[in-house]
Amino acid sequence: MSNNVKQDAKQNYLCEEVPPFTIATAMEEASRCLLCLDAPCSQDCPAGTNPGDFIRAIRFRNFKGAAEIIRTNNVLGGICARVCPYEVLCEKGCSRTGIDKPIQIGRLQRFATDYEKASGFKPLKKVEATKEKIAMIGSGPASLTCAAELAQKGYKVTIFEEKAKAGGVLSYGVVPARLPQYIVDEEVALIKDLGVEIVLNTKIGKDKTIKDLKAEGYKAFFIGAGIQAPKILDIPGTDLDGVTNAVEYLGSAKPSNGDIEPGSKVVVIGGGDVAMDCATTARLLGSEKVMILYRRTREEAPAHKIEMNYVESLGVHFHYGFTPAEIVGTNGKVTGIKGTGFRDGSTIHLECDKVVFAIGQMPDASVKDISDVSISPKNTIIADEETDCRTDIPYIFAGGDVVSGGKTVVQAVAVGKRAADSIDTYISKEAK
Amino acid sequence: MNKRKHADLSVDFLGFKCENPFFLSSSPVAATYEMCSKFLEAGGGGVVFKTIGTYIPDECSPRFDHVRKEGQPFLGFKNMEQISDHPYKENLYYLKKLKEDYPTKCLIVSIMGSNEEDWTRLAKDVTEAGADIIECNFSCPQMTQENMGSDVGASVDLIDAFTKATLKGTNIPVMLKMTPNIEKMEVPATAAIKAGGHAIAAINTIKAITHIDLDLMTALPVVNGKSSISGYSGAAAKPIALRFIANMKQDDYLKDIPISGMGGIETWEDCAEFISLGCKNLQFTTSVMQYGYRIVEDMISGLSIWMEEKGYKSIDDFCGKALANIVPADNLERDFKVYPKIDYDKCVSCGRCYISCFDGAHQAITWDVENRKVEIDEDKCVGCQLCLHVCPVANCITPGKVVFKPKDQFGLGSEAKYVEARSGDRNITVGQYDE
Ligand SMILES: Cc1cc2nc3c(=O)[nH]c(=O)nc-3n(C[C@H](O)[C@H](O)[C@H](O)COP(=O)(O)O)c2cc1C
Ligand code: SF4
Ligand code: SF4
Ligand code: SF4
Repeated sequence: MSNNVKQDAKQNYLCEEVPPFTIATAMEEASRCLLCLDAPCSQDCPAGTNPGDFIRAIRFRNFKGAAEIIRTNNVLGGICARVCPYEVLCEKGCSRTGIDKPIQIGRLQRFATDYEKASGFKPLKKVEATKEKIAMIGSGPASLTCAAELAQKGYKVTIFEEKAKAGGVLSYGVVPARLPQYIVDEEVALIKDLGVEIVLNTKIGKDKTIKDLKAEGYKAFFIGAGIQAPKILDIPGTDLDGVTNAVEYLGSAKPSNGDIEPGSKVVVIGGGDVAMDCATTARLLGSEKVMILYRRTREEAPAHKIEMNYVESLGVHFHYGFTPAEIVGTNGKVTGIKGTGFRDGSTIHLECDKVVFAIGQMPDASVKDISDVSISPKNTIIADEETDCRTDIPYIFAGGDVVSGGKTVVQAVAVGKRAADSIDTYISKEAK
Repeated sequence: MNKRKHADLSVDFLGFKCENPFFLSSSPVAATYEMCSKFLEAGGGGVVFKTIGTYIPDECSPRFDHVRKEGQPFLGFKNMEQISDHPYKENLYYLKKLKEDYPTKCLIVSIMGSNEEDWTRLAKDVTEAGADIIECNFSCPQMTQENMGSDVGASVDLIDAFTKATLKGTNIPVMLKMTPNIEKMEVPATAAIKAGGHAIAAINTIKAITHIDLDLMTALPVVNGKSSISGYSGAAAKPIALRFIANMKQDDYLKDIPISGMGGIETWEDCAEFISLGCKNLQFTTSVMQYGYRIVEDMISGLSIWMEEKGYKSIDDFCGKALANIVPADNLERDFKVYPKIDYDKCVSCGRCYISCFDGAHQAITWDVENRKVEIDEDKCVGCQLCLHVCPVANCITPGKVVFKPKDQFGLGSEAKYVEARSGDRNITVGQYDE
């Protein structure tokens, strides 16, 4: 690629895919809202962001009030506005569907949080930290939310992150076309403004231990370390140069603003949102041909259909019904991949110079190094994140992907809120 | 996480310390204990209870209509209702219970009699029931009885007599509700205050016909083939209400008389507008009929966030602040024009500005057929800004360059030229448009 083409490609990669609403278009959309009595949309948001109320606020030109409703319920509201699979959440039960199509709730949420930023309005104010020290391990959405909630309750909160940037999957996963890095940075800054301290480049279990932190006065811990170990298939050729995985591919592209060699013919293996993000990354960074290889059908693919439609609109080729059988190469470099029919005996051979495994992640064994809490055979921490996020050690709580094995950002936000309440109850009732 | 308090919305109205100025206006939205209570629980500062009379009116069915433009419903709302259709005793019971259960909320009670004895008796009874303030309804345009309704509001003599009769029955403040179906509201308002009244409420509904049913050849709503001229309210009424209020607030005799403002209030911005013209109390009905009591939540939130940002510590800080800038037309400066500015990055080339400028203004926009591009011809443009109002794209056309008119504007002399600056340069303030 020439330098110019590369520059353009990077611009595409960094540009947000869906354009923002203006006041006029947001008002048009908010006027479509039926302002339902029981707001099914609000009932369907796992984090309780309360779209019924914030859309009504927009409808009555209380734009800052809308932002306040969002932030007080979901501190990562601007992020969720961009990455949530609305079609299966708030927009799913939207009554407007009975007339034509659902209200674009995500875009309205984004409008309100953008307006908040543009106007300099700050819905949340720092609360003086007079209570106990609490530590978050990992800085993904669950930890960030838990930290913000606890800081608002008056706790001294510190987040420990092993990487150089806070945000976890938000900074090292989700493509900028869906979630630009500056949005993540701004919402992290907003949480810091609430008094939360973030310590980067510090891996708990290696650079520091929970024991050390206890000695420093931390009274409770929330483990929201996420999951990072890529799943790879056991087939010939995975050691060839040009074979990579989603964690590495996305995790090097986003922090470098797209400064990677995306490959010119890329095969992405998998049918989930992460696979879609890999395909998007490759395509927007200028790969000339991008193919997705998925063993089941389009209907069975776990990726959200809006994302699949978007990826299709970028000209990505989908090959359904094939399982990878072998990666072939010459001189140690990938030249192609062979697949066999998942439900029949057909075969496929795709030429490529890059293969990206995006078939899921799993918690890696190092989760054991963080603490002594019980771990499942799958290396996930055992805790009930639907209720109180407690582990079998009273002062350690856990939630997010490290417990569930992988869910959406908004579910992590919901878990963060529950964990904060649970930690608060623990500190005020038991720790004294 | 909890929302924080942004500003103190409390305000003194006729000696009552109201938690905020947001009140239901007298109408079916404030007709029972349960309704008022639901609104007060939602955050309202008080209510004006539905007009109580000495008899129960016979209502027609159907009785409403609304005006839409393009897709927007409820631009204006027509009703053919009269006063409360609940029994007298029941209403008094509601009032008593409301005051008992909500002692900190302000209870205003609207009354309407047909003769002086009625007014005195009503005033006495609602005062005993617990009213904090009385509102005399001199303004319902669809009463079927003589000496009632908006005919009263147009008669200085009746206003004088009925205000005095009301005061005879009570010692609490009395507010007089005015009809907009006249030219100068200062006249009846002055009569009411001279008769001893303490405040003015404005406006009641505007006499109107909203639609004609072209098959039945009658107005809407159709009551078995017939209809009547009756009261119009909602968003379309706001500009009319604001002008009556400004006129009264700028009147030498009335300027310090408290006004409770209403007519089309729906959002916190509407509220701020009425306050900026001097209203210390705000009422609304149509918006509640369309959306419910919950609209008060965004009034509270929106107004207090805005006040916090503006640094206003109380409603009094900006109450009446716009009055000084509303001047007679002959006091406006007329020696400059403000050109519109087109942002070509935003323009979608619809040509609407061209059409409106040609057909409705001064043929000052050109249309390049080939490139589908509009351009302003500064020689012809008069700066009326019609184009700005019709452009469908947010902030695409905005107020731009200011030029001063030539001294010899209508002559053909050498000075017949516009200049961008004039000695002792003034700063010209132009409005901001956000959409
Ligand atoms: C259905 C209906 C009934 C009303 N009844 C009364 C009434 O009994 N007494 C009164 O003073 N005003 C009455 N009004 C007038 C309102 O109180 C108010 O002055 C007017 O509607 C303007 O305010 P709005 O635009 O917020 O509705 C009524 C209005 C409506 C729409
Ligand atoms: S369900 Fe849909 S129409 Fe109803 S309040 Fe929610 S967004 Fe509006
Ligand atoms: S300001 Fe008036 S005259 Fe000038 S271009 Fe616009 S519509 Fe035409
Ligand atoms: S109305 Fe606005 S968008 Fe349309 S052509 Fe004129 S400037 Fe452009």
